[in-house]
Amino acid sequence: MPKLIALHGGRVYDPTNGVDGEIRTIYLGPDGIVPAPLDQGEIGETHDLQGCVVMAGGVDIHTHIGGGKVNLARMLLPEDHQRDLVARGVHPRMGCGHAAPSTFTVGYRYAEMGYTACFEPAMLLSNARQAHLEMGDTPIVDKGAYVLLGNDDLLLRMLSTDADPAAVRDYIAWTLDAAQAMAIKVVNPGGINAFKFNQRKLDLDEPNTAYGLSPRQILLALAEGIHGLGLPHPLHIHGSNLGVPGNVETTLATIAALEGLPAHLTHIQFHAYGAEGDRKFSSGAARIAEAVNRNPNISMDIGQVLFGQTVTESGDSMRQYAGSAFASPKKTVLMDIECDAGCGVVPFRYRDKNFVNALQWAIGLELFLQADDPWRVFLTTDHPNGAPFTSYPHLIRLLMDRSFRNDMLATINPDAAAASILGSLTREYSLYEIAILTRAGPARSLGLSMLGHLGLGARGDVTVYEDHPDRERMFQRPRFVFKAGELIVRDGKLVAAPTGATHVVKPDYDRGIEAHINDYYRRFMTVRPQNLRVAAGEIDGEGRGRLIVHHTRRDA
Amino acid sequence: MPKQNTVNSVPELLRDAVTCPFCSLLCDDLETVTRGTQVSVSHNACPKARKAFAAATPAGSPLVDGKPATLEQALSAAKRILKYARQPLFSGLATDVDGVRASLALAERCGAIVDHLHGASMAQGIRVLQSRGHTMTTLAEVRNRADVVVLLGADINEDFHRFAEICLTPAESLSPERLAARQIFHLGPRAQRPRQAGLNCQPIVCTADELPNFLGGLRALLRGRQHGLTGRSAKALAPLAHALKSAAYAVFVWAPGQLPPAHAEHLIGSAGELIAELNQHTRAAGLALGGNEGGQTALATAAWTTGYPLQFSYAGETLDYDPLRYQTARLLAEDAVDVLLWISTFSAQVPPANTLPCIVIGNAASALTRPGSVYLPVGTPGIDHTGQLMRTDSVVSLPLQQLRDTGAVSTAQMLAALAATLD
Repeated sequence: MPKLIALHGGRVYDPTNGVDGEIRTIYLGPDGIVPAPLDQGEIGETHDLQGCVVMAGGVDIHTHIGGGKVNLARMLLPEDHQRDLVARGVHPRMGCGHAAPSTFTVGYRYAEMGYTACFEPAMLLSNARQAHLEMGDTPIVDKGAYVLLGNDDLLLRMLSTDADPAAVRDYIAWTLDAAQAMAIKVVNPGGINAFKFNQRKLDLDEPNTAYGLSPRQILLALAEGIHGLGLPHPLHIHGSNLGVPGNVETTLATIAALEGLPAHLTHIQFHAYGAEGDRKFSSGAARIAEAVNRNPNISMDIGQVLFGQTVTESGDSMRQYAGSAFASPKKTVLMDIECDAGCGVVPFRYRDKNFVNALQWAIGLELFLQADDPWRVFLTTDHPNGAPFTSYPHLIRLLMDRSFRNDMLATINPDAAAASILGSLTREYSLYEIAILTRAGPARSLGLSMLGHLGLGARGDVTVYEDHPDRERMFQRPRFVFKAGELIVRDGKLVAAPTGATHVVKPDYDRGIEAHINDYYRRFMTVRPQNLRVAAGEIDGEGRGRLIVHHTRRDA
Repeated sequence: MPKQNTVNSVPELLRDAVTCPFCSLLCDDLETVTRGTQVSVSHNACPKARKAFAAATPAGSPLVDGKPATLEQALSAAKRILKYARQPLFSGLATDVDGVRASLALAERCGAIVDHLHGASMAQGIRVLQSRGHTMTTLAEVRNRADVVVLLGADINEDFHRFAEICLTPAESLSPERLAARQIFHLGPRAQRPRQAGLNCQPIVCTADELPNFLGGLRALLRGRQHGLTGRSAKALAPLAHALKSAAYAVFVWAPGQLPPAHAEHLIGSAGELIAELNQHTRAAGLALGGNEGGQTALATAAWTTGYPLQFSYAGETLDYDPLRYQTARLLAEDAVDVLLWISTFSAQVPPANTLPCIVIGNAASALTRPGSVYLPVGTPGIDHTGQLMRTDSVVSLPLQQLRDTGAVSTAQMLAALAATLD
């Protein structure tokens, strides 16, 4: 029988189980975390973790790690790779890092940072196979993807002809099943489709001219359908008017439009802008935070901006086209995709001396610091849109260390600093709260009972940090990371690279919907739906990966 | 689903929704009949597919210096070649996703340079992408959204034959009024004009070398500027300029491999700028037809594996991306490599002339028989084994079926066996 690993003497932060910095011993077996053995002889190895902090492996709920637009960004930016090439021998495979990293480097670097699960938020059904192929070449971390709906002509045709809500629900479930997805995301509801018909903006109650549908109608149909299916993660919403000054009104109206249905508002920083002041650009963070605090059906991730070069990758072709004027370096990829979706890839450099960029930075932090319930706010930079994921330790320090934050605030564009209330916000996140934002909260929101915590039933993804007052340093380089009970990182360096699992949800649905889908594909599309469908064996065949299927509340 | 038929006691295996691996349109509605090891297409074959399926004979035996050998002998000979290589080149790379994955893994291990047999033409489009970006569209968008389509020096008569049927002249469209009003233009040599039945195409004839001038002239016409074209050319372009001005969704289609190499980058860039200009007021996009022989697959798989599209080298401490320097033809001409590993599993593609120690991993038609060569036989993806390929529009990828069982291994399996000899 394999011996257990005992992690002894560390301070444990496990919010799922209410453990707040108590010194406890964690026992790791091959099947996950186990109770203390009756016989000490079962323990094969004991790590003395005095002075260390123990958390579950990190879970990133929104990070663009695989699929067409990510790969376009890679091809677009050889000059970005050049600054961060991964040399032979550092990892099992060579590659590149920074803004548009190679798949292998993504897996290795997340693991080296103590993260053990990552969720790609913008998979297209028409591109699902490629997204899974890329995630299949992303080692170590568990992964999963949210499939896009709400700009596909099939759904918009259904909604514009007042389809039975049960049919909409079945179509949602079929899409999840065919794409092997974990959740449903909507991006600029109806707007990507409208852009194909030359609409350049779409407000919440403005009809898409082709179908006469407003974003509000699309949001409600999707949120209701998902609620009816009992999916663990609610509708994942990238709202209308991303990046537009004054879009705080759209975001507040979107929260109201959901009529109490569960929803997740993603990279909300990009949707929290007022249009006040001399430059007609101001912070809407206080109003957004207040609305989220007041509406327990709503969760958010921030999409924090951090300064430097990155690349923005989005399904929102309408807004990315508008943003292409600010591309740096000056090049943009836009695509209209397969009557399904779209994408835009725009390289961007956030400058701390630029008023707008500096205020974006401050707005993100204001949102974090004014959100009351850490279980409904998740730490993201919308990698790589606000910043590459490798900057998470820096972001954690900004949240935990007020004097560091104020030092940074003193260096940004002074008008932006003056326009922000950030300097007056005294809150400092605790380690317990950081554990919620970076693992417990995302895992709970996704319904992943084996991830994000250290109780019995947890799969054994554990990260051990040395408790250092410089929180950036602390979170950058864990002393140990265990993945499913196996040691994979020691002193910030990779020592093993196992294969992670792919998480999918499979709600029950009426297969009768396939007659409608098949008819639509036969008449209008260019592939057969049975070929679009990603087979389980394409993900878990030949030992390449593993599928973990989550059943929904309905069939539980 | 597979069906067994027995006609005149010859067992037949019938398959539908078969993906055709022989051009990057990846039509996935073929119906095939397998009798023994012979696969033929009973429905939805274009002339190229019909020929290619018929020509796909099972792979023969391994060869060393052109002489039949056991697999063990051939692998051992290949191992010796790789072991003493100072600078190997892995090219051809005409295989499926798993084949490319395995090629890259072995190339990294051997410090090889990596290219594809269509690497040079694909690099033309990539250079434009990397210098200014582009606005592109996909097959279903063309089919349903376009009201003006311009074939820009593109020949869809052999390769991409069914582009006409699938995208240009479908029976139905999500926008029936646009389909009814659709105008299709061909700009380029007369011989390239599409000959598909039912395709009403307005020709604007110019030679391949005149394409840059005509495209420049078109842009000038659209801007209402002087264009320096002769009366005849200006007159020929006027209806197209007029159509583009009133188009709701214009699509420009080019095939990088069919453009004159000297002008390809300029033409693709210029088309991209024209599209960008149109997008200021209406909608327009490009579509590149290319990446046959697994080219699109190699490009995409290389990009996610390394960050770089082709061509690059694993020889140094870090990856070295240099598409100009690492092109197969140039490396061979300059004696910059000392071993060639060539992969070709779709059509008959033998390596470019060279005298290097050479390993060919290929289907029957790609066997190499000269001294100094090792031939490792593998199956054709989508006939002999399952797999996946990327479509020309860089978005859709499709599964390949196994249509017969000849015992042929896949490229990935053969490369794994070769890698195991190096352990």
